[in-house]
Amino acid sequence: MSGYRGVDFYHFDRCLSDEERSIRDTVRRFVDQSFLPGIRGHFRDGTFPLDLIPQLGEMGLLGPSVKGPGCMGLSGVIYGLICQELERGDSGLRSFASVQGSLVMWPISVYGTDEQKNTWLPELAAGRKIGCFGLTEADHGSDPGGMETRAERDGDGWLLNGSKLWITNANLADVAVVWARTPEGVSGFLVERGMPGFSTNVIHGKYSLRASDTGELVFDNVRLPDSARLPGARGLKAPLSCLNQARYGIAWGVVGAAQDCYDTALRYAQERKQFDKPIGSFQLVQQKLVTMVTEITKAQGLCLQLGRLKDDGINDVPLVSLSKRNNVAMALDCARMARDILGAAGITDEFCPGRHMANLESVYTYEGTHDIHTLIVGAEITGLSAYR
Amino acid sequence: MKIAVCVKQVPDSETRINLAAPAAKLDQTGFTRVLNPYDAYAVEEAVRIKEARGGEITAITVGPETVRETLKKDCLAVGCDKAIIINDPLLAGADDAAIADVLCAALKKDNYDLILFGIKAIDDDSGQVGILVAEKLGLPHVSTITKLELGEGTLTAHREIEGGKEIVDCPLPAVLTCQKGLNEPRLPSLPNIMKAGMKPMQIVTCADLGVTPPAALVEIRQYSPPPARGTCRLVTGDDAAAAARELARVLNEEAKVI
Repeated sequence: MSGYRGVDFYHFDRCLSDEERSIRDTVRRFVDQSFLPGIRGHFRDGTFPLDLIPQLGEMGLLGPSVKGPGCMGLSGVIYGLICQELERGDSGLRSFASVQGSLVMWPISVYGTDEQKNTWLPELAAGRKIGCFGLTEADHGSDPGGMETRAERDGDGWLLNGSKLWITNANLADVAVVWARTPEGVSGFLVERGMPGFSTNVIHGKYSLRASDTGELVFDNVRLPDSARLPGARGLKAPLSCLNQARYGIAWGVVGAAQDCYDTALRYAQERKQFDKPIGSFQLVQQKLVTMVTEITKAQGLCLQLGRLKDDGINDVPLVSLSKRNNVAMALDCARMARDILGAAGITDEFCPGRHMANLESVYTYEGTHDIHTLIVGAEITGLSAYR
Repeated sequence: MKIAVCVKQVPDSETRINLAAPAAKLDQTGFTRVLNPYDAYAVEEAVRIKEARGGEITAITVGPETVRETLKKDCLAVGCDKAIIINDPLLAGADDAAIADVLCAALKKDNYDLILFGIKAIDDDSGQVGILVAEKLGLPHVSTITKLELGEGTLTAHREIEGGKEIVDCPLPAVLTCQKGLNEPRLPSLPNIMKAGMKPMQIVTCADLGVTPPAALVEIRQYSPPPARGTCRLVTGDDAAAAARELARVLNEEAKVI
């Protein structure tokens, strides 16, 4: 056991139910026992621990808040706590679960037909099938409305052409939720591995999210039956609604990474001696630790309120944007401060802050960049959009 | 098959104990409490038996009402069917003999085929309660088991002994204490954590059980921090033989151990 206990300076545990605490503690134990012993190797090798996927499914960690066949439909707070503990392990682990749950299972559950739900949701929830989500393209990131991937009517089905880039789980996925421009507006399609014309490529040489699969989806005249379309999803609002679910999980998740960095730095500062004293006794080091614990505590408050609101049916985009924006930047700052406290030791993979820091650079950018979230909140409070 | 698993909630092994000077009581504020890790082997073994042969598992503990969460998460959510908490102010300061008495009273309320314990609790490291219960109930017991096979009305248990293992046959009902290596305890799944809240959990007093705990035979007078570790001394010499001679002299004349 790592002895990791997280941060609970403001006794937020008192605001959680028995079940919420139990689930949080169980996921923490899973990360300690099954995930962390292998993370250095996976991060070095650029691989995801595929062997853990069945266990993620058995424990119920894939799409826990999704409602539908084979799914549990648990609360948003529980989903958030799970994301927090998974990302304490690594942003790559949380990304895997976010994509599977929020970006694949959730749209199928909300926009899919009963047949699509029955076919995919139980398999995805159990981890027997893996999904990915294709919205971003090489030339269209923050402005997905400019997407070039197209689906044209072809007899009783569709013909899909184009490509998607920066796709988590691209090369692992059995099914891709792909967003394409159609004569009727943006639509979502379930594209299965093995369909002629559908291929995937690995993105190599990443500094960040190394223990996560990132790739490209290529569609070269992929012929899809009409039953592959998500009939309930019309217009760009549909994929953006998926992102809102995933960003919610990120807002929670990164607080786990921040707590891991803080916990590591705190222990190091209590033990590492310079000038015959633990470095934690120096004012400058204490200031850094206090800044970290303060910012983590504030972020925990945001998450809990965001989660309770979501469970009351209030999940507006600007609310999620504010938390995603604040918490990711906060976690990145914590990772950097922790790396600083660890001195030279902080640059090796013996300790977690360097790995979290590298991961969080991706998290800062994906699912709506920090700047885009600034402009979403800006538009909300002024009533004036900066980019439309 | 009816199985009882007797468990205890203990401070997490990573707990930092603040004890600057000897004291009669430990300051336990801020302790994180978990299921005694050895008890997890007992729970897991009970669940495996139930999965293989069917039956019912009751988790029993003595402790404050705050053990509820641990019982739910680590017993009911992994497969125990019900839980009994024996909670009574009379048990404050109870020693192993008294705990064994009240556990016996609870165990007698039902007919268990098998009663499982962890080999010891990691807080007091005493390791007596399971065996005391067996003696008081007049049941056979096997301690420190690392493997268990059930027959018809009998069991075969492997137990660790100095330098080897002992294989013991014994009739049921019996009491077993479980050692690391017996199995690999599972983590509960989320659906089972959610369902655990619906399983029956009974809180009883000594009066409910019809037992008066005996006065403690053991009194804890003082907790003191372990002595600071001594410094290490390196024995050197011109060559290995000389160093060995010096080591022998130091062990004989100074440490007086040979």
